[in-house]
Amino acid sequence: MPGYKIVVYPTDVIYIYDGGIAGFLTCVHESFYAKELPLNIVSDANYEPSLYKHKFVAADEAKAKTVRESIARNISKRALDLTDHLLLCHHEKKELALLKFLITAFRVGPKATSMLGDKEVSDVLAMERHMLGERHLLLGFIRFKDYGGMLGAVISPKNFVLPLLAEHFVCRFPNENFMIYDKTHNAALIYQDRKLEITAVEDIKFADESEEELHYQNLWKSFYKTIGIKERLNPKCRMSHMPKRYWINMVEMKEFL
Amino acid sequence: MDIMDKLTILTDGAKYDAACTSSGVTRKGPANGKGLGNVMPAGCCHSFSSDGRCITLLKVLMSNSCIYDCKYCVNRSSNDVPRATFTPSELADLTIQFYRRNYIEGLFLSSGVIKNPDYTSEQMAKALEVLRYQYGFWGYIHTKILPGTSAELVRRLGLLADRVSVNVELPSEASLVSLAPQKKREAIFTPMAQITQGITTGKAEVVQYRKAPKFAPGGQATQMIIGASPESDYSIVRLASALYGKYDLKRVFYSAYIPAIRDKMLPAIDTKPPLLREHRLYQADWLMREYHFEAEEILSDEEPNFNPYMDPKCNWAVNNLHFFPVDVGKADYEALLRVPGIGPKSAARIVTARRHSRLGMAELKRIGVVLKRAKYFIVTSDEPLGISVNKYTAAKALIDPNSFSMGVEQLTLFDAPQTRFLLDPANHVIEDVREEAALCLATKL
Repeated sequence: MPGYKIVVYPTDVIYIYDGGIAGFLTCVHESFYAKELPLNIVSDANYEPSLYKHKFVAADEAKAKTVRESIARNISKRALDLTDHLLLCHHEKKELALLKFLITAFRVGPKATSMLGDKEVSDVLAMERHMLGERHLLLGFIRFKDYGGMLGAVISPKNFVLPLLAEHFVCRFPNENFMIYDKTHNAALIYQDRKLEITAVEDIKFADESEEELHYQNLWKSFYKTIGIKERLNPKCRMSHMPKRYWINMVEMKEFL
Repeated sequence: MDIMDKLTILTDGAKYDAACTSSGVTRKGPANGKGLGNVMPAGCCHSFSSDGRCITLLKVLMSNSCIYDCKYCVNRSSNDVPRATFTPSELADLTIQFYRRNYIEGLFLSSGVIKNPDYTSEQMAKALEVLRYQYGFWGYIHTKILPGTSAELVRRLGLLADRVSVNVELPSEASLVSLAPQKKREAIFTPMAQITQGITTGKAEVVQYRKAPKFAPGGQATQMIIGASPESDYSIVRLASALYGKYDLKRVFYSAYIPAIRDKMLPAIDTKPPLLREHRLYQADWLMREYHFEAEEILSDEEPNFNPYMDPKCNWAVNNLHFFPVDVGKADYEALLRVPGIGPKSAARIVTARRHSRLGMAELKRIGVVLKRAKYFIVTSDEPLGISVNKYTAAKALIDPNSFSMGVEQLTLFDAPQTRFLLDPANHVIEDVREEAALCLATKL
């Protein structure tokens, strides 16, 4: 029910957590029970020592579970999805923005995510939109190469979208084996023998490309060059739909960089 | 001939086709777990070509050996170009290999007419059968139905494809007679009517038997060439509106004519393709499909051509100032849609957000409404009388920047400034013309 009022007072403490969802939810728990609004929440990977006080918040599964259930019960399922999505975002202050949103959301209840004109709400929704937008583009821009029965692709997204790519490609290629390697976040999505897994990896080196693979790449490049109408050349329009940062991993675009 | 040459020739012949979307169908994955392929509801762009158009499908011709001699077409029989024809298995293999690498969302298959329409359609159907049944391919397929194809083959192709389209080619029968004498009006509209019928009964059958085969579940589309013949914009918009109504089409595509041949019946060979006009037609089309505008609201007998300086929605707003300002706190969804700068998404968000708080300019900005144009047409909680308008500033905001990047010279002009200077885009006179257009508009406001 709405009216679950969280009272927190601004402090100059910085929370440090492990970067995971359970860790973040523990921070929320900590903030509500200590009645303090931290100056910032950062993952230990991003933490730079400063003069401000800091507090290490260790991930606590039980506390995380409490918060998770409370969000679902007192706010909405959508708010819970939003929370999960936001931790995949790359924005520097996403944790603090999310905490502020949750404070508002606990107060107003289920309508929280439809209060689009509210600052706290629109901030987190904008971050989510950015992440989902990048995911949508990647569904099209990912390029697989065939390494003798295993399809392999490399991406370098700003947001950690890998978990949200899995379902689409598993539905699309249920009978293939494939891997998507996220260079930015050093992680890989591996689908092999109908089993799916996302793991942390160090730098991956792919095997050389076979003649057959190069053959299809050349066919595609030729198709790409032919399909453009030269009387309508419009590089600006192309760039706005397909920003340059994606080109590096796209077979047909690499040579235009 | 090797596959590389074939692909290049048959892509080159297909590139002027406008449609490349994969919309209208949703499929989670292969029907029986075998094979590959799914379709996303909103479609998916896989790349963008050098002309800025989205590449979703492998857009190729089955063959460019055409017996017809349509004057406007690069594949006409009298044109001296290399000819090629895919075999069904070559085409299927190419589609699958591109699809596995995530280059494409599926296949867009068109063709020149080999021997006769039925023979060609038979070849196309064979290629699609290899794809669907041999490879178990459940990605998107859009296929052209050639004018004059028999009812039986139309049905066969419709059961294989997600979307089918018959090109109306030109915006009037008179133009068809003069530029494509071998294509008859009836040969185009007979299959189109059959498809409309097929889709309607198909939907009814699926209600009765869940497993009834789906006939063109992604609906029917068409396309026409703009600028090769003398029709006014109004007659084109009315034609499109009639096609949406009578044949229940999902989309009408417009393709700016690019001169390919010297002929006294066609625009001169150095004529620039009418890109701004094509752009305006798409905007008008959008207004009819998504914004609930009638063709008669967009243009009229008195104003039969598009305003080069403003998009059709802005143009409507300026001609209907009595409709404004619209109160974002109270106006219904339909009224919000009429505001320049507010689209279906913004309008829906406004309706959601205003249940919880009053909406001022700052809130609208957070919601994601682009205020550049909208602000002149609305009242908000913090601007209950509307913002005070400097007519000249407002006019400048309403003028479409595309007018100047695409060149306005192709359009018939209304009370026009001296647009001939625009032929040279580097000309500094552009600024003066923009100024003049703004002044012109300001007096109207």
